[in-house]
Amino acid sequence: MLDTEEIWLLGKPICRGIAIGTPLFFQQAAEAVQVQEYAIPEAQVEQEVERYYTALEKAKQEVIALQKRLQKEKMFDAAAILDAHLAMMEDPLLTTYIEEQIRDVKKNAEFLFDAAISACQKRFSTIEDPFFRERFKDIRDISSRISDHLKNRVRSSLSDIPQNSIIFTDDLTAFDSAEAKSDAVAAFVTTEGGPTSHAAIVARAKGIPYVSNISFDKIAAKESQLIVDGRTGHIILNPAPKTLAKYTELKEQLQLHMQKVAHRGTLAAETFDGYGIQLSANIEMLEGVELLHRYGGHGIGLLRSETFFLSRGAFPSEEEQFRLYQHLVQQMKGLKTVIRAFDVGGDKYAHLISQPGKESNPFLGCRAIRFLLREREIFKTQLRAILRASTFGTVWLMFPMISSLSELQEAKQVLQEAKRELREAQLPFTDPLPVGCMIEVPSAALIADLLAKECNFLSIGTNDLVQYALAVDRSNSWISSLYSPFHPSVVRLIKLVAAEGEHNGVSVSICGEIAADPRFTPLLLGLGIQELSVAPRFLPVIKNAIRNTSIVSAYKLAEQVLKMRSTSEIEEFLTQEYRKNVPEDYFYNFS
Amino acid sequence: MKLIRKVRVKNGLGLHTRPATAIVKLLQHCKSSVSFSYKRDTINAKSILSILMLAAKKNSLITMTIEGEDAGEIMDKLVTAFDNSFGE
Repeated sequence: MLDTEEIWLLGKPICRGIAIGTPLFFQQAAEAVQVQEYAIPEAQVEQEVERYYTALEKAKQEVIALQKRLQKEKMFDAAAILDAHLAMMEDPLLTTYIEEQIRDVKKNAEFLFDAAISACQKRFSTIEDPFFRERFKDIRDISSRISDHLKNRVRSSLSDIPQNSIIFTDDLTAFDSAEAKSDAVAAFVTTEGGPTSHAAIVARAKGIPYVSNISFDKIAAKESQLIVDGRTGHIILNPAPKTLAKYTELKEQLQLHMQKVAHRGTLAAETFDGYGIQLSANIEMLEGVELLHRYGGHGIGLLRSETFFLSRGAFPSEEEQFRLYQHLVQQMKGLKTVIRAFDVGGDKYAHLISQPGKESNPFLGCRAIRFLLREREIFKTQLRAILRASTFGTVWLMFPMISSLSELQEAKQVLQEAKRELREAQLPFTDPLPVGCMIEVPSAALIADLLAKECNFLSIGTNDLVQYALAVDRSNSWISSLYSPFHPSVVRLIKLVAAEGEHNGVSVSICGEIAADPRFTPLLLGLGIQELSVAPRFLPVIKNAIRNTSIVSAYKLAEQVLKMRSTSEIEEFLTQEYRKNVPEDYFYNFS
Repeated sequence: MKLIRKVRVKNGLGLHTRPATAIVKLLQHCKSSVSFSYKRDTINAKSILSILMLAAKKNSLITMTIEGEDAGEIMDKLVTAFDNSFGE
């Protein structure tokens, strides 16, 4: 029978893990159902007005509850946006105007409400400035809340979903994911969205498997059970009993392994012959810090500062940034916190930037340090906030996407200016503040010796380095298979940077995704990397990989890999080696 | 009392959600009627949606008309808020 045939769809793996669950199609836009229109008899007008205000009040209470939760989670920006939502719910256009309409026109509240919102939408759609036109999204969000209450309809929200739901959606907004009950979400599947999308950040922080680039045509809502393989990017529909059994066992094995390594979280991050390395965490949400401490992370190796201000339309003020950095640094209790300056531009958070024109090639365009050096005030504001936070713990500063020595020098000049301003204002900061470069462009890797002489540390961002070294845009599905960190050129670039770092006495860390792939761990140690920075969730797996290798064999392994000639040869070799070292981790057991 | 005055929008993104929220909050307990005129529109400044619909960018000139017993006090507060770019 055709409809019970097992179907395998291939998408892009964003966050690893395996899920077996039932699909839940999540549509954030209210479906275009025709709103009923009927007359209200004179005697019932007051009752209708009352009904409207009750719905409004319920919607308001929902927003207040969500806001409280966000504040508790220290997501102040998202909480601030909800202030605007509350103000909108008190807007005369949605209160007294609707009330008057009900009294005058004597029709049902949902019809009049819907008409008012449509009029509003019409007005917004004529606004030329796209930034203001976009504001209608906020209104749509609150209007769907209110009309859901009017119609007594259960709002499509992720706050109350059945256990083991696999969420299918085009993309998730900041609010959807904030509302999501994370223990009920088994996996995310989206049609679009890359590793920097909001859903990806939530998924990574909460350890939820996530596959994108899947078209939903083949998937019916009645699908009883399906499998998401976040390792490979496969979605398996109508799994045959054999497939289901295999994945059920795999999932259990993985859980068991994760539990086992998590228990050893407090052990030292050292090889079995006693070579210790720094194992830190990449932080993009405040809740990551708790995991970091639980798993004994040595510090924050990469604070993605821009992700904290995701949900807003503008760059945050110095005070707001200062409060956030201060809070984070205090939470780190003296452990090192490497704050990376805003990495915006390219495909990342383009909405924050008012660009002069659309860039034809944003990846090779005005992003990260290039953007910051152009927009000095934004840059300096951030540097001042970071400097001020530095007195509350151990803060290091990192510049993203350096591609030449002059960029590093210019960035350091801006830092000097920021320091001078703070001195004049008599605000305290740590001086000198250790400064480092991200190495994510091949040109920077090739001049690592020059950069190392003028900064205190280097950090290799392999996600971009691979993309730039191989000239592959990994979001382009035609060529994304060419994107592989196992490419011999990538290994050589890492070796070059590590060697120059050692020669010049500065530490070299890796903060890209390969740091969180345990197959790479012995190779990276063997190449001379002294620090790995991974999403907090992966700390135990990587620590386990470190503890199952020896530095002597790691050196030998690195030598062997450097002689290899192809991507597949290296991938196979490292996978085999890992399976030998850590046979109980089924994650890379694809057979 | 009726007061009329022009103010300039100083903050980078214009009268977007945040400043609009600030204005509405500021006017929450105000007894006067407050309207903003920009280009051909005149709107009730106590309505956040109406303020957003003005789509007033940076450097726009807004004409504020305040009428009522606390007009003077409200005018001072609004002018200060505009001048401080709503704390941005």
